[in-house]
Amino acid sequence: MIERDDHDLRKSFAALRREDAAGTPPFPATVATARAREAAAPGHRALRLAAVLVAVAAVVVVSTWRERNGVRLEIDLATVRWHAPTDFLLKLPGDELLRSVPQLGPRGLDRRTL
Amino acid sequence: MAADLTAELEQLHAAAFGWALSCCGWDRTAAEDVLQASYLKLLDGRARFDGRSSFRTFVLGVIARTAREARRRSALRRWLPLASLMLGPEAEDGRPDPATALARADETARLVRALGRLSGRQRQVLHLVFYEDLTIAEAAVVAGVSLGTARTHYERGKAALRKLLGEERE
Repeated sequence: MIERDDHDLRKSFAALRREDAAGTPPFPATVATARAREAAAPGHRALRLAAVLVAVAAVVVVSTWRERNGVRLEIDLATVRWHAPTDFLLKLPGDELLRSVPQLGPRGLDRRTL
Repeated sequence: MAADLTAELEQLHAAAFGWALSCCGWDRTAAEDVLQASYLKLLDGRARFDGRSSFRTFVLGVIARTAREARRRSALRRWLPLASLMLGPEAEDGRPDPATALARADETARLVRALGRLSGRQRQVLHLVFYEDLTIAEAAVVAGVSLGTARTHYERGKAALRKLLGEERE
């Protein structure tokens, strides 16, 4: 993939690779150090586990306390009535005539006019 | 099986260390830490080779991921002082250590300085192609980007690196 005109970059990187290779720590020493660090790590693992346990215990204690003291956050949906801001668009002129029964009788009909 | 894996890792050790150096901004201490953590992942089976790429590409990918994790932990430590109790001691500061910088020849020191001024992705792709002798497709796998993105970083990175090296020589 390296083009012919990349020879200058290739040469520079080769020099860098040679320098890095000279300072590379030996493989067995790297693995041995890694193993030694891993052996020392359980302290951190135990600390992490302890932190998780403390967090879980805190959640359990708080939820138990709230239940016992009757502290509950309840939302009664029946008391909540929500109106959409566009509700007025559903209201038609003369809408009340369609929703009410016409009155017949003494008040609604004047017999003298018949 | 474990002996085979160890032997294969030993063969790649110099290349792996070079890549770890690049991922850690040529900070030798940080690179050693990242390499050790990567070897543990590989030897303990936490990172398993599934044969979808070459073993070399796979190992370099594990090192890149481990370096990213180390950077994230380092950032977390800066924001949360108590996090160091959980995450262990900090080793890297993301800068080349002075001893390594002094020991470098002028030409390679210029190259390292110029690489340090490129974007992270451009630096990664150029390092993988020119230093590790990977193809752009393999470099894309290691860097975790698409082939097209890797090609773009490769071309723009080369142009930027040549310009920076020219400025350094003047």
